[in-house]
Amino acid sequence: MSIMRPLVLCSAILGLSANTAFADVTVDTKYGSVTVKDNVKRIVTLHEGALDVMSSIDVPVAGSVATRGSDTVSDYLADKQPGIQIVGTARETNLEAVIKERPDVILASNALSKEQYDILSKIAPTIVPEWSFSSPDAWRNEARLFGKAVGHSADVERALNAVDKRAATLKKRVEQQVPADQRQVFVTRWMPQGPMIMSKDLFTGSLLRSTGFEPQDGDLLKEGRPHSSILSLENIAVIDQDWLFMATLNQDGKKAYDAAKQSAAFSRLNVVQQDRVQTVDGQVWSSTSGPLAAQVVLDDIEQLLDSHQ
Amino acid sequence: MSVFDSTSRSYVPAPTGHWLVAIAGYSVLIDKRAIQRNALLSVALLAISVLSLGMGTLSLAPYDVLLALLGKGDSMTQFVINELRLNRLLAGIFTGAAFSVAGCLMQTVARNRLATPGIIGIDNAAMAFAVASVVGVGVSFAPSAMALTGAATATALAFMIGGGSGTRGYRFIVAGLAIGSVSAAVSQLLLTQVHIDVANEAYPWTVGSLSGRPEEQIPVMGLITLIGVLSGLVLCYRFQLMAFSDSVITALGHTPNRLRFAAVVIAIVLTGFAVALAGPVGLVALVGPEMARAFARHKGLPLLSSAICGAIVMVLADLAGRTLFSPIEIPVGVITAIVGGPFLLWILIRKPKRSTL
Amino acid sequence: MPFLVQFFQRAPSQRPLSVCFTLICLILLTCILLSLLIGAGSVNISQSWQALIGQGTEEATFIIRELRFPRTLVALVVGMALGIAGALMQAVARNPLAEPGLLGVSAGASFAVAIALLLGASAATLAAGVAQIGALIGCFFVMAAARLQGQFKDPVRLILAGAALSSLLTALTSILLMYDQRAADEIRFWVTGSVAGRALDHLMAVMPYFVIAALLTLYVARPLASMALGEKVALGLGHNPRTIRYLVMLSVALLAGSATAIAGPIMFVGLVVPFAARALVGPDIRRTMIMCLPIGPLMIISADILTRIIAQPTEMPLGVLTAIIGAPVLMMIVRAKRLPTLA
Repeated sequence: MSIMRPLVLCSAILGLSANTAFADVTVDTKYGSVTVKDNVKRIVTLHEGALDVMSSIDVPVAGSVATRGSDTVSDYLADKQPGIQIVGTARETNLEAVIKERPDVILASNALSKEQYDILSKIAPTIVPEWSFSSPDAWRNEARLFGKAVGHSADVERALNAVDKRAATLKKRVEQQVPADQRQVFVTRWMPQGPMIMSKDLFTGSLLRSTGFEPQDGDLLKEGRPHSSILSLENIAVIDQDWLFMATLNQDGKKAYDAAKQSAAFSRLNVVQQDRVQTVDGQVWSSTSGPLAAQVVLDDIEQLLDSHQ
Repeated sequence: MSVFDSTSRSYVPAPTGHWLVAIAGYSVLIDKRAIQRNALLSVALLAISVLSLGMGTLSLAPYDVLLALLGKGDSMTQFVINELRLNRLLAGIFTGAAFSVAGCLMQTVARNRLATPGIIGIDNAAMAFAVASVVGVGVSFAPSAMALTGAATATALAFMIGGGSGTRGYRFIVAGLAIGSVSAAVSQLLLTQVHIDVANEAYPWTVGSLSGRPEEQIPVMGLITLIGVLSGLVLCYRFQLMAFSDSVITALGHTPNRLRFAAVVIAIVLTGFAVALAGPVGLVALVGPEMARAFARHKGLPLLSSAICGAIVMVLADLAGRTLFSPIEIPVGVITAIVGGPFLLWILIRKPKRSTL
Repeated sequence: MPFLVQFFQRAPSQRPLSVCFTLICLILLTCILLSLLIGAGSVNISQSWQALIGQGTEEATFIIRELRFPRTLVALVVGMALGIAGALMQAVARNPLAEPGLLGVSAGASFAVAIALLLGASAATLAAGVAQIGALIGCFFVMAAARLQGQFKDPVRLILAGAALSSLLTALTSILLMYDQRAADEIRFWVTGSVAGRALDHLMAVMPYFVIAALLTLYVARPLASMALGEKVALGLGHNPRTIRYLVMLSVALLAGSATAIAGPIMFVGLVVPFAARALVGPDIRRTMIMCLPIGPLMIISADILTRIIAQPTEMPLGVLTAIIGAPVLMMIVRAKRLPTLA
C-alpha cells in the first residue's frame, strides 16, 4: 500500500548520516526530526503564519490554504504572492491539491493533528513547529524553523532583525513621548457581551513589549490560552489602563469602536474618554504571526504615537 | 445440518414473488423483488465506487488508476489511489452503511421516522469528546479514540438515566436528547476557548469528513459494519415484529424488550464506530433508510437496502465534495446535509400518502 | 408542609392553576431579585442592596441600572417568548420532542448572521434585525415546504420538513464559514447565546413582534385546545385547523425569531419549559402556556445568574448554561412517576 513511507524514511536516514554530502537540512519539529532536501523549490503552506514568513523573505509559495474568500489569502498577504494556488481551506486541506503542487516541503501550523501529519508527511517533509505559550519568542522560533527548512535561515534572520530594529526605533519614541508610568496597554477584542483580553505573551504582546509598552492581561488568562473568556461588563474597569488596542476582525474598526461606545459601561472608561483607543486589524493582531504581520503591528503602534503627539 | 430434506415434509408452495428456501428444517421466504432491487442498488454502488476512484482534483487516466490498483505505475499515483482515494472510498462505504442501518433500526424501535441514533446524543457526545481532544482538554487520546469514548459514554448515560422503564423507550430518547444538547453546548464552549487555528483543526469533527482518515481504523470499521449488518439481517424478521403491539409480539413468542434492546445495541455500536471514523454525519441515518424505502419498495424492514443506500449516499456526497468546488474541498457531512435535506422533502412530496411508522 | 405534600400528590391536571402559578411567580421574583443583586464584579450583594434602595455608591447604582437591570429584563422577555413558543410548537406538532428550533428559526438566524459577517459586519456591529430576518425566512421556507408536501395536514411532515431545511441551512452556513475564516472566528461567540450587554434599545427594537405574537397566541389558545381533542372536534366548534396551524406557526416564528435576535440561539429552553409546565399542571395547552410564562424566565434568569458566578470575573456563555441546567431538569421530570404526555 504505502510505497512512499519507506522512501521518505530512507531519505531521512540518508540525510541524517550524510548531512553535508547531500546538503540536506534536518530540523526538529513537533513530530520529531524531519529532513528536507537541499534547494527547495516548491513550498506549500497550510498556515497563514508560514505564508507570512515566506512572503517576508520573498520566497514564492506554490500553494496555500485560502483564509479569506474562496481564492485568496489574508488581505495583508494577498499581493505578496501572485499566482499562488489554493489547496483547500484552513478548515479542510485538499490532499490531492497539495499533491498536485508537487511540494518539496509542507509548512503547517502547530495545531496540525498527528493523523493529518502522518498522511501529509508521506507527500512531502512536513514541518510542524513546536509551540510554547510560555515563550514570547515562539513566533520568532517558528519563523526561524520555517526559514531553516527552506534553506533561507539568513533571510529570515534579516527579516526578524528589521522588525527588531524598527521596534527599537519606536521604543526610543515611546520613551520620549510617553511617561514611564503611562505605558500599560491592553489588547482586546470587543464582543457585544464584553471584551476578550488577548494574551500578553504571544505575538502582539512580545512586539508591544519590545517597543517599550507594558502589555497587560489582568491575570485573567488561563495557562496556554490565546485569549481570556469574555470579561463581564461589570469588571470592565480591569482594561481601563493607559492605552487600549481594540482588534476588530473586519475592515471597519471605526464602526466597531462606535458600536462599543454605545455600551455605557465601555464609554465611561477613562481610556475611552481620553480617546486613547486604537482600532487595529484583528486578523493580524490575533490570528496570525510572522515578520510581515509584525510590521503591520508596528505600523499600528506608530500610528498610535503619531495621533497622540 | 447437512441433510437437505424438503421431500420429507408436505410441500408448501411459496407465495407469489417469493422463493422458499428450506435447509434442515429451517425455511426462509425470500422476496424476489428485494433481491432484484438490492442487486440494482449494488450495481449502482459499484458504478459510483469506480467513479470515486477515478475522479478527484488530480486528473488521472483510467489506465493509470487501474495500474495503481494493481500495485504498478509511479509511486505518487499509487499513493493517491491506494492510500487516499481507496481509503476514502472504503471509509465512506463502511460508515455510510453503518449509519444507515443504525438509523433504520432506531426508527423501527422508536416507531418514529425521525428517530436516528443522533437523537439519543451519540453524534454530539462523540463530537464533544473529539473536539475536547483536539483543543487539548484533559487526556491526550487521539480524537477518534475520544469520539468512540464519547459515543459509549452517551449511550451508557442514556441507558442509566432513561433505561428500564417507559413505553417504547420514550424516556431513553428524552435522556439522549438531553445528553446531546449538553454535549453540543460543551463543544461550542470549548471552541470559544482556543486559537482559531485549533478551532479549525477541530472543524472536521463538528461536521463529519472522510479526508485523511487513519488507515488502520478502516479495516476495523469494515469488520464492525459487516458484523452489525449481518446480525441485523439475521434478526431482521423478528425486528419487523416491532411494528406490532407488545401483546402481539409476546403472543408470537418473543420478548419485546429484548428485541428492542438487541436492535438498539446494534444501532449504537454501528453509529459509535462510524462517528469515530467519519465524525457526525448524522443525516445519512435519516436519508439512507428513507431512500431504501422509496427504491426498494418491498415488504418488511429494508435493512440490506438501507445499508447499500447509506453507502451510496456517503460515497456520492464525498465525491461531490471533492470535485464540485475543487480545489476547495467540502466535507462530506456538509454535502449530505445540503443534498439530504431537499432529498427528504422530495421523497415526502413524491408520495403524498405514506404510512407513518 | 402537609398542604404542599397533599398538593403534589394530586394528579397534575387536578392541581389548581392559580396556586401553581403564584408559587412559580414567587420563585421567579426571588430569582429576579437575585439577578439584580449578584454579579461577576466587585459590587457585592450588600452594596447592591444599598443601591437598590437608593443609598448605594455611584458605581453600584451604575452597574445595577445599566448592566444588571437590562439583562434581567431581556432574560425575562426572552424566557417568556421561548417558553410559549415551545409550548405552541409541541402542541401543534403533537410531539413533546418538538422545539422551535425545528422550524428553522435558529438555523435561519445563524445563516443570516454568517452572511452578514461575510459581507463585512463584525460581531460588535451586528444588528439584531439580521438574525430576526434570518429566523423569519428560515421559518417561512419550512412552512412553504410543509405546505407543498401535504397541504399542511400532517404535523409529522412539518417536523420532517423543518429538520430537513434546518440541516440544509446549517450546512450552507457551514460552507460560508469554511470559505471565510474571519466570519468563522467571530460566529463562535455568537452561537453560544448571551443576554449580557444587551441594552433596552435592543429589546425595544423587537418589542412590536412580541406584541403581535402575544395577540396571536391569545387568539389561537382556545382553538388549539380544541384541536387537541381531534380535528373534527375543532371543526365542529367552528375552527379551521389549517388556519389555526398557520397562525400558531407565525406566532412561534415571531417569538423564537425575536428571542434569537436579541439573545442568540439559546437551545433547550423551548423544549424543557413546556415539559416542566406539563409536569406541574397537566397537558391542557392553555394551562401549560400560562405556566410557561413564569417558568421560561425562571430558567433563563437562573442560568444567567450562574453565567456570572461560575467563571468570575469572566462570564460563561448563556447557551451552555441553559443546556447544563435544562438537562437535569428534563431528566427529573422524565424520571418522575407521572409523565403527562400530549394527547
